Amino acid sequence: MKNKMVVVTSGYERFVHWALAISCLTLCYTGLGILFKELNFLGVIFGGLKGLVTVHDFMAVIFAISLVLAIAMWWKEAGIFVFPEDWEWIKAAGGYLWHLDHVPETGKYNPGQKAFFLTVALCGLLMVVTGFFMWYPEKLGGDLMDWVYVLHVLGFVVIFAFFFVHLYLGTIGNPGSVSAMISGKMELPVLRMLHPKWVKEMEHEGKLMIANDKK
Amino acid sequence: MTEMIKLYDASKCTACRGCQLACKQWNGLKAGQTEHKGTYQNPPTLQHNTYMLIHFQDYVAPEGNVKWLFRKEACMHCTTAACVTVCPSGALYYNKEFGTVGMDREKCIGCKECVSACPFEVPRYDKETEKVSKCDMCETRISNKMNPACVKACPTGALKWVDKEEAMKMAEARVQYLGGDANVYGDKFVGGTHLMYVLPEKADVYDGIHKDPKVPVTISLWKSILKPLSLLGAGGVIGGSILHYFIHGPHKPHPEHYDEPKKQGGA
Ligand code: HEM
Ligand code: SF4
Ligand code: SF4
Ligand code: SF4
Repeated sequence: MKNKMVVVTSGYERFVHWALAISCLTLCYTGLGILFKELNFLGVIFGGLKGLVTVHDFMAVIFAISLVLAIAMWWKEAGIFVFPEDWEWIKAAGGYLWHLDHVPETGKYNPGQKAFFLTVALCGLLMVVTGFFMWYPEKLGGDLMDWVYVLHVLGFVVIFAFFFVHLYLGTIGNPGSVSAMISGKMELPVLRMLHPKWVKEMEHEGKLMIANDKK
Repeated sequence: MTEMIKLYDASKCTACRGCQLACKQWNGLKAGQTEHKGTYQNPPTLQHNTYMLIHFQDYVAPEGNVKWLFRKEACMHCTTAACVTVCPSGALYYNKEFGTVGMDREKCIGCKECVSACPFEVPRYDKETEKVSKCDMCETRISNKMNPACVKACPTGALKWVDKEEAMKMAEARVQYLGGDANVYGDKFVGGTHLMYVLPEKADVYDGIHKDPKVPVTISLWKSILKPLSLLGAGGVIGGSILHYFIHGPHKPHPEHYDEPKKQGGA
């Protein structure tokens, strides 16, 4: 028997998430081509370094919009820590570092995901603000601009590393979770493992949406 | 490499602006819109199409005498050039033959990183071409054993194109001869510049001069620390993920997560 599939994300949620992911990845790619002279050749597919910069500028706008939408959408569920349940989870490291039979239960998003969300939201905003001033450096003047460049690259260091953390945990690190980004559905057992309390609450309120999948 | 210096002796300069015009002519630069500010200094500042400029200044000396001070402003051709360090495209580069700082405008992507980094406020951005420009020490001329155009045009000998050792000797001798507050400007910072001045007055009395130019410290934070860290960080995460996958294994549902007890799963 196949596992029951549960609807976990709406089309709108997936759209915003994909827009954010694609623009962020493109910004990392083009950013690398700008940051490293040795990687200037990454611009070849855009007709040269100037083309690469134009793509960075364009994707910056998509990124800024999808970031704002994402923050508005996830703030309540993923932006606020709830104590003491989140604390229990943190003490157990979410079961990621050592084996546990019972990972402490949390809301829809666990503290790891919350910390991730907050980091991306804050670093993303940092990128948008510093990037904006890199378009118009004369607005700030030399001394402040010096720091703007440092912060833009600092944000890049964090975002670039986090991107791979996210990629790992969202795919092979947690088999079964990537379908939330594709079909918007997840297998019930996987869901019970990753978001146990949320499943219970939804079941309790009778809101859990089981997709009528053919067997 | 024979390091070469463009030595500007302000005490010999009559502000005829022959150099300013020669620079425009050699580089094919049109005159831009300007503004009358009650002085002969024109235009008031460097522009994307004005690579060099003679400053005119009325200076009241402490004794009460009024002096007319002149100064040539252009790219200083730093030995440790902030602009070269930050330029992501390779448009700005060190000239290996002379130690000057050349510019390939074809490569410039107009990111303005050099504009913020240069401690002398030299590179200027042009909205129309979306590129930056600055004096390149007439690279096509010096590479062909000619003097820079501005040096060639100078009728008084205030501008000279000489190798570094000789330039330092000439400058020192001139400072000795002038006496008083005369000094050399350009040898004490950013590793030494390849445009140097002999100034008859103390450097700080000159309007718009950079008294203590420095390569911004933030640049080493940016280019020497964070830049490699970005690859190290991402590499560490990828390595860590692989380790985690093989040592700890992926996160799989426990039997109790299934509706009916099953054999599969279990971490
Ligand atoms: C995920 C978000 C982003 C990442 C990872 C990223 C990454 C980078 C990197 C690595 C650089 C090279 C810096 C250097 O030369 O040292 C760069 C340059 C730049 N970024 Fe971003 N960036 C992001 C978002 C933005 C945004 C939102 C904007 C604008 C609002 C922006 C505008 C710029 C500008 C103007 C430059 C300078 C080069 C140019 O002319 O394009 N960036 N970015
Ligand atoms: S004066 Fe400015 S533009 Fe010229 S070499 Fe130095 S840092 Fe570069
Ligand atoms: S504006 Fe042009 S010359 Fe200046 S740093 Fe950017 S690419 Fe280099
Ligand atoms: S060296 Fe050439 S480009 Fe530079 S100021 Fe003189 S004439 Fe102009």
